[in-house]
Amino acid sequence: MDDNQERLARCFLAVFPRLAKADVLQASQTSVSGWDSVATVTLLTTVEEEFGIQVDLENLDQLTSFDSILRYVKGALGQ
Amino acid sequence: MKLIEALQIANTEAASPDGSCVAALCCGFTPLHLKTFVAAYFRRSFPARAVKVKTGLYGDLAGTIENLDTKVDFVLVAIEWPDLDARLGLRTTGNWGPASLAQIVTDAQAQLLRLQSAIEAVASRPVPVVICPPTLPFPPVFFSRPNEADSLQLNLRRLWNNFAAQLSDHASIALVNPQELDRISPPAARHDARAELASGFPYQLPHTDVVARLLVELAVPRLPKKGLITDLDDTVWLGILGDDGVQGISWDLDHQSQLHATYQQLLNALVESGVLLAVASNNDPSLVAEAFARADLVLNPKYVYPVEASRGPKSEAIKRILQAWNVAPDSLVFVDDNPLELAEVGAAYPGVEGILFPKHDPAAILEFFRTLRDRFGKRRIHDEDRERLASLRQSREFHETVHGAGTLDSVLQGAEGRIKFTYDKIPVDSRALELINKTNQFNLNARRYTEASWSSLLSQDNCWLQIAEYEDRFARLGKISVIGGYREGNRLAVSTWVMSCRAFSRRIEYHCLRELLEHFDATEIEFDFIPTERNGPVRDFLAALTGKLPESATAITAELFREKCPPLYHQKK
Repeated sequence: MDDNQERLARCFLAVFPRLAKADVLQASQTSVSGWDSVATVTLLTTVEEEFGIQVDLENLDQLTSFDSILRYVKGALGQ
Repeated sequence: MKLIEALQIANTEAASPDGSCVAALCCGFTPLHLKTFVAAYFRRSFPARAVKVKTGLYGDLAGTIENLDTKVDFVLVAIEWPDLDARLGLRTTGNWGPASLAQIVTDAQAQLLRLQSAIEAVASRPVPVVICPPTLPFPPVFFSRPNEADSLQLNLRRLWNNFAAQLSDHASIALVNPQELDRISPPAARHDARAELASGFPYQLPHTDVVARLLVELAVPRLPKKGLITDLDDTVWLGILGDDGVQGISWDLDHQSQLHATYQQLLNALVESGVLLAVASNNDPSLVAEAFARADLVLNPKYVYPVEASRGPKSEAIKRILQAWNVAPDSLVFVDDNPLELAEVGAAYPGVEGILFPKHDPAAILEFFRTLRDRFGKRRIHDEDRERLASLRQSREFHETVHGAGTLDSVLQGAEGRIKFTYDKIPVDSRALELINKTNQFNLNARRYTEASWSSLLSQDNCWLQIAEYEDRFARLGKISVIGGYREGNRLAVSTWVMSCRAFSRRIEYHCLRELLEHFDATEIEFDFIPTERNGPVRDFLAALTGKLPESATAITAELFREKCPPLYHQKK
C-alpha cells in the first residue's frame, strides 16, 4: 500500500472496526456490514480530517467504496 | 483529540471488563461525532469498564431527558438555542418577523421550565447530570444590527442564566463553565453550518472534542490535590529574604509586585476550602518568622503548616512535610520559581506535581492561578474541609502527647473522645462518598463508586451503611469512617470500609466494628479485602485481629473480635 492507501485504510479501520485489514482495499458499501448513511458521514469526516480536504456533498452517491474514495482523495490533492 | 483517534479509542474493548458504564448523551441535534468523542473520553476514564453511550430522538431534547432509562450512570446534556425554539436554528423555517420575536422568548421560557423539571427529576434519582450551555451563536433572527445586543437577545440569555443558576444549586448537577469553553474553543470557530445542514450535526470537530471532554471531565472529575507546598522568595513575595531583608521584600503595586499579593490571597482561599499549605524555603527560620509577622502580609501565617525553612535540599523539606501531613506524594503540588528546585524535587518524588511560579510574567501568572484552581477545585466544601488544617495541627499535638505520655491507653483515657454512629442510607451523604473515593490507606479494597452506582448499592434491601463522626479534646475530626455491606442473618459482609488517616491511632476502627457487631447482633463479619499498593494500614489492622496477614477476603467472629479488641475509651454519642 502507498501512503494515501495506508492513511485511507486507517480511516476505514477506525470507522469499521470489524473490517479485516486484508479486506480494506476491496471494501465497498455492499461488502461492509454497518456501512449506512451515518457511517458514510463519519467515514468522510475522518477522510476530510486525515487529508485536509473538503468532500463535495454532491459526490456522496459516488463515494461508496475504498477505491472510489481513494480516487476522489487523489483528485482533491491534485495527484 | 482527532476524530479518527476518538473512533479508535471508543472502539477499544475493555481489557478485562469490570462492570459497565452507561452514559446518556442528550442533545436536540444529531449526536454523530459528539457521541464518538464522549465514548472515547469515557473509555479513557474507565479503561476496565464496558462503556455504552445512549442517545435520544432528534429535535426532542426535553422528551429525551424525560424518557431516560433508569439504568444510566451519567447524563450529559448539550443544549443549543434551537432546543429552546426551533426558529433559533438553521434547519427549521419559521417566522423571523419582528412581531414574532417576543413569542420566541415566551416559548423559550416554557421550554426551559420543561427542561428544568426533567433534569431535576433525573438528578434526584440521583444520577450525575452535566450540562453544556448553548455554544453556538444566534442565527440572524433579531432586527438590530449584529453589533448591538438587543433586548430580545439579552432576555434569552437572562432566561438561560436563571435556568443554569437554579440547576447549579443541585448537588448532582454540574454545568460546563462558558468562560472555560471560550478559552479553549474560540466562539467563531465552533459552528459547522455545512454539516448542520447536511447531517444535522452543527459542530466543527475541534469544538466537538472540547465539548465532549469538558462534559466527561465534569461527569468523572479527577480527585483534587490535597496539599500545596510553596517556596517563599520570588514566589510568596518579590525579593530574596536573606539578601533584601524583611523590609526589602514586597507584594504591592508600588513595587510592581502586586501579583505576589494575589498569590497570597489565593493561598488563603485554598486553605479555607480545605487545601493543606506548607512552606519549603531555603531561608533562615527566624527571618521567615519575622517576615510572617509583617502586618501587611496578605497570607494568613496561621494557615501554613509546617514551615520548613532550612538550607538543605528541597526534597528533604518535602519529605518532612509528607510525614507531617501523612499524605501520598501524588496528592501534592509544589510551587517554586526555580526550575532546578522543581527538578530536584521531581527526581526525589516523581508523584509530586511541580509548577513553576512565573514571577515576571503577569499573563503567565493568570494561567498559573487557573492551573492551581484546576488542581484543587471541588464542587462542594464540607465542614471537614474547613477544619482540616486545625485537625492536622491537633493531630500532631495528639501524637506528641502520646509520645510524651508513653502509652496510648493513658492518652486515650484523657482524650475525652466522643464518637457518633449513623446508619442512614438516604439521602446519600456526599461527604461519605467523597471519603470512599479519595481514601487510599485505610481502604478495604480501593473500590470506587459513582453517585449512581453508590445509590444503586444502597437501595438494596439487605445493604447497610455505618458512618462514624469523631471528636476529642484535641480535634473535631468530623465524618472519618464509612463502612458498608450486606447482612445475611447474623453474618455481616463488609464490601466497603474507609477511614481517614487523620483518625489513625485512636482505636476508632475497633470502635466501629464493636458498634457494628452490637447494632446488628452479628456473630461474624467477613471483609472483602483486596490488597493494594497503599492499603497497608487496613491489612495490618485485619492481621492484628486474625493473627495473619490477609491476602484476600477474610472473616472474624464476634468472639474473636472481643478477645482481640483493646480497651476502648471513647464515649458513644
